Amino acid sequence: MRTKTDVILKVMNVLAWLAFAGLVVKAGAIVISYSVSIGNPEGAKNLYMGLNFYPIRQFDFWHYTGTVILMIALLLLEAYTAFLVTRVLSTIKLTNPFTIEVSRTLEKISYIILLAWVAAMVFNAHATWLSKKIAGLQENLISGEFILLAGVVFVIAQVFKKGVEIQSENELTV
Amino acid sequence: MPIIVNLDVMMAKRKMSLNELSEKVNLTLANLSILKTGKAKAVRFSTLEAICKALDCQPGDILEFVGKK
Repeated sequence: MRTKTDVILKVMNVLAWLAFAGLVVKAGAIVISYSVSIGNPEGAKNLYMGLNFYPIRQFDFWHYTGTVILMIALLLLEAYTAFLVTRVLSTIKLTNPFTIEVSRTLEKISYIILLAWVAAMVFNAHATWLSKKIAGLQENLISGEFILLAGVVFVIAQVFKKGVEIQSENELTV
Repeated sequence: MPIIVNLDVMMAKRKMSLNELSEKVNLTLANLSILKTGKAKAVRFSTLEAICKALDCQPGDILEFVGKK
């Protein structure tokens, strides 16, 4: 019998795949725009949907490269998180939800989110520093609130670990 | 684990096969096998009662505690 949760998990899986594809496309588009902007600085005016790093490109090429690398790293970490979520959602079975594989993937997700938070903080610090050096540069700061998300996912992973133990004990009760 | 399941010994004494016991106690062969091989982590009282009834024995005949020496 299909339950409501089954449907929700299937929809979430599709959404996670869409998020993964979107983030990879965005990262790819920025890489291509960046490659173009190496030869043609005007290309930095619109890296992706109005993302303008032209003032940084004019200020210093290496700071511009650093900013783009941090942004791509962040996008790739987010994409990897979305990919791991699709793996969790395709592995999980509601009859036996607590498996060591799901628990490990959840723990991995929390570490990746933590890493993404670190990348975001470095990006923000760099952007703030640059905004002081370059007059009229608009700050594109990234919200650092997903440190909380990393904590929540880590706690869920730990609860899952306990769930795996309880489930295996339950399965070995005759 | 220091608890040893002597189900196979009792089954041999009563000359009862695993299939026969499975039918009598209404347990699957897989679960009886888990119990017989000592992989089980817990035994329900209802299961123990059914096994004791089927094998005409006491729980102590099936379960044994072996402490570390």
